[in-house]
Amino acid sequence: MTRQIAAARFARAIAALMMTALLQLGVAATAIGAEPARTADGKPNLNGIWQVLNTANWDLQEHAARAGQVVTLGAVGAVPAGLGVVEGDDIPYLPAAAAKKKENFENRLTADPEIKCYLPGVPRATYMPYPFQIVQTPNYVLMAYEYAGATRTIHMDKAPPNPVDSWMGHSVGHWEGDTLVVDVTGLNDQTWFDRAGNFHSDALHVVERYTPRSPDALTYEATIEDPKVFSRPWKMSMPLYRRLEQNAQLQEFKCVEFVEELMYGHLRKQPSK
Amino acid sequence: MNRRYFTSTDGPAVMIAVALLAPLPVAAQTWTPPRTADGQPDLQGVWDFRTITPLERPVALGTKEFFTDEEAANFEKQENLRQDRDKIDPEVGGLMYPPGGVVPYNEFWYDRGNKIVGTKRTSLIVDPPNGRLPAMTPEGKKRADLRAAEQRETQLGRPHADSWEDRPLQERCIVGLNAGPPMTPGAYNNNVQLFQTPQYVVILNEMVHDARIIPLDGRPHGHLRQWKGDSRGHWEGNTLVVDTTNFKRETSLPNSSANTHLVERFTRTGADTLLYEFTVEDPTVWTRPWTAAVPMRKSADPIYEYACHEGNYAMASILAGARAAEKAAEEAAKKGSK
Repeated sequence: MTRQIAAARFARAIAALMMTALLQLGVAATAIGAEPARTADGKPNLNGIWQVLNTANWDLQEHAARAGQVVTLGAVGAVPAGLGVVEGDDIPYLPAAAAKKKENFENRLTADPEIKCYLPGVPRATYMPYPFQIVQTPNYVLMAYEYAGATRTIHMDKAPPNPVDSWMGHSVGHWEGDTLVVDVTGLNDQTWFDRAGNFHSDALHVVERYTPRSPDALTYEATIEDPKVFSRPWKMSMPLYRRLEQNAQLQEFKCVEFVEELMYGHLRKQPSK
Repeated sequence: MNRRYFTSTDGPAVMIAVALLAPLPVAAQTWTPPRTADGQPDLQGVWDFRTITPLERPVALGTKEFFTDEEAANFEKQENLRQDRDKIDPEVGGLMYPPGGVVPYNEFWYDRGNKIVGTKRTSLIVDPPNGRLPAMTPEGKKRADLRAAEQRETQLGRPHADSWEDRPLQERCIVGLNAGPPMTPGAYNNNVQLFQTPQYVVILNEMVHDARIIPLDGRPHGHLRQWKGDSRGHWEGNTLVVDTTNFKRETSLPNSSANTHLVERFTRTGADTLLYEFTVEDPTVWTRPWTAAVPMRKSADPIYEYACHEGNYAMASILAGARAAEKAAEEAAKKGSK
């Protein structure tokens, strides 16, 4: 082997190593979410169909797998384990509210509003085990949830005053850098946070933050404030994942027809004796 | 056009102006709609489709396609009086309510508007040219007869209610009375908000609150049947065309079937007006396709949450009422046999 050939091989090897290093750096940069895709008005483009991959809807807090309450459902009705989505895993209930939470948990099979296909409220709509779609326009961001066909409109410019408390609340949004911040008020006291009986009052104030973390994931954070129920504000956070199927589309989950027997069955005409 | 500018002193000039403006589509063609950032005609906003123009032209109007101003004013006056639920004595009956029946909602609940459409058409149906629904097939007649009979029983306070499944989808909060597809002006909540992104158009009706998310990427219809069908959209010039098939059981139109193929067209006709047209092809029910045109007006008001199912105390009450009536009849029969 001549010295020239050896030198050329050495140079190629160095170049290859440098290329690999650069590629790795590039991948890392993307994963950290350096530069999100943008809409025509220069905002991060949050359009898409998103879904969580966690068990927050069963229980916001850390929980081991446990049996369900309907014996005939067996493993199908069991609760999958979860590491929890609450910062510090502590939900700071006031004493009376802590007792109410316990009671809710005991009565969850009948008392959880999800059982009756009621609108889920915020933030629960985000982490139910169904996809939702963000439809982002400059003046409005529509959140359309597959569960119960629930929707809410986030007002980005001039928000009208909140007319009356509602199930999905009154949402007003703005951008803080690349984060969509949504201030949610006007929520009624009829919804829960999860199937474990975590609850709130009509004084609930939620501040949500949607931040791109990679092309196909967002970070979702929700700060919960409700002086009638909690001794201090608390926070949950979780990733939202993009549904990447080529044909991804929200389907109908109009659950009214799945709960009518449960809700009205006792009022059915009985077979004549 | 602002009608306040025309006073009685304008006389013939007004008539000429009205005659020139009458074929609205011509005016519409000359108006250039604003565009979204990606170049689509911008249909976005909240649109109000309240009107007292009937779907079908009253038979007495024959071939009359448009009202004159005077006729329009007269029709509005009479129709507003006729529709006024507070003026109907249940014992006497009126509108569609038979004597001795039930007038279930008073005027408080209505928000149907009090004007006919701006085009002064005598019906929302524009085809067939007589402004009326086409002849029904034998299956269509069967559906219509059954529906009329059930409605009559409901109006007489004897609703068919062995279970919720005997009640219309609207009462069950599964589909909205007027939300469609296709959208048709109704008793209240005649509002829709349109959203656009480069890939989708979204139709959000206030009535029963769910969003119809329509892909614009040319993907074929799916296979699943849904209550609101399966919608696909594309642009034809400045018109958004939405094609819907795969309805689960029926559309929100009375007597319709799952076999419906619906084509809706949305065209901006002015800064504050949008023309919504739809063609219904349902060979199970009607012997030919038919088309209606519903002009919409821009609204400054937001869409509110209409939590229909959550507040549906009526369903339990209807069923409980039917059971109570049965019990009373049973007891009366027992007394009679003693």
